[in-house]
Amino acid sequence: MGSVVEEKMSTTPNAEPPTSHAQLRVAGNTSDVKGRTSNILWRIVDLIVAVIFIYAGAIKALDPVQFASDIDNYKILPWPFSVALAFYLPWLEIFCGFALVARTLYRGALSILTTLILVFTLATTAAKVRGLDITCGCFGHASQNWSFPAHLATNLGILAALLVLWLSNRSAKPS
Amino acid sequence: MTSSLVRQVLILAAVALIPGVGEAVYFRHKISWRSAVLPSEMVTVDQARAWGGNVIWVDARPDEEFARDHVPDAISLNEDRWNDLLSQFLVVWSPGKKVVVYCSSLSCNASREVARRLRREAQLPDVFVLEGGWEAWLKKR
Repeated sequence: MGSVVEEKMSTTPNAEPPTSHAQLRVAGNTSDVKGRTSNILWRIVDLIVAVIFIYAGAIKALDPVQFASDIDNYKILPWPFSVALAFYLPWLEIFCGFALVARTLYRGALSILTTLILVFTLATTAAKVRGLDITCGCFGHASQNWSFPAHLATNLGILAALLVLWLSNRSAKPS
Repeated sequence: MTSSLVRQVLILAAVALIPGVGEAVYFRHKISWRSAVLPSEMVTVDQARAWGGNVIWVDARPDEEFARDHVPDAISLNEDRWNDLLSQFLVVWSPGKKVVVYCSSLSCNASREVARRLRREAQLPDVFVLEGGWEAWLKKR
């Protein structure tokens, strides 16, 4: 058997030994597995970010009066704007969260959520610099007693996850 | 690609408006667009004084400011020591009493927050915020 192969190899130009095909197949399979694992990982990050925003939005949508007061505590916007945002922002977060889950309007959702988290982080930092003792209101009562570092770390963690999703190749595939 | 991104952002922004407007209509009686406190929850110094002995004055300012000076017979109840001070307040409170909460001035938030927590967490009726706070009281003293 070995001699027949050797004979064919010697008579066929550019022929490769059969073992190299097998190696390529194995390499291809490994690459597929890596690709699938990577996709699953991105999907998990997607879902984590989506759940965070859907939860945060739902908590605030249930109590817009409290959220308006929380926004007002930042002393950045006039009261009517705080009220308008209290009614609007929670639903924006919820819809963007669902867009990430459904992978529909994916890039639009990522853009909005990245902008929101940047604005929240800047507002929180500005409030801290100005010496305001505020309740962020990000997650309703759950975040009422969060310290500034905990608040900032959460925001930066979410921002990092969003940037990772932006930078991943996967984000180019969905609509 | 950019136009597609802008289109997606606009669609999401527009869709979120619908429930947002619906919620604004639903909560129209629970929040004022003009002031952080509903007009029915505000009280002036004169109005509160007219209630006479049926009022419990609550000082929402920090402990140091309360120690410096306060409305006669006022009880300190601030968010820094909420749990400790709330139990002290509830000893004094009785049904039928009106509660008037004040903080430093017109622009402070503490009285609003304390009043809200008294309504929600302690389930107390007749909780009011003093218009103008401690400054207004000083002017009328």
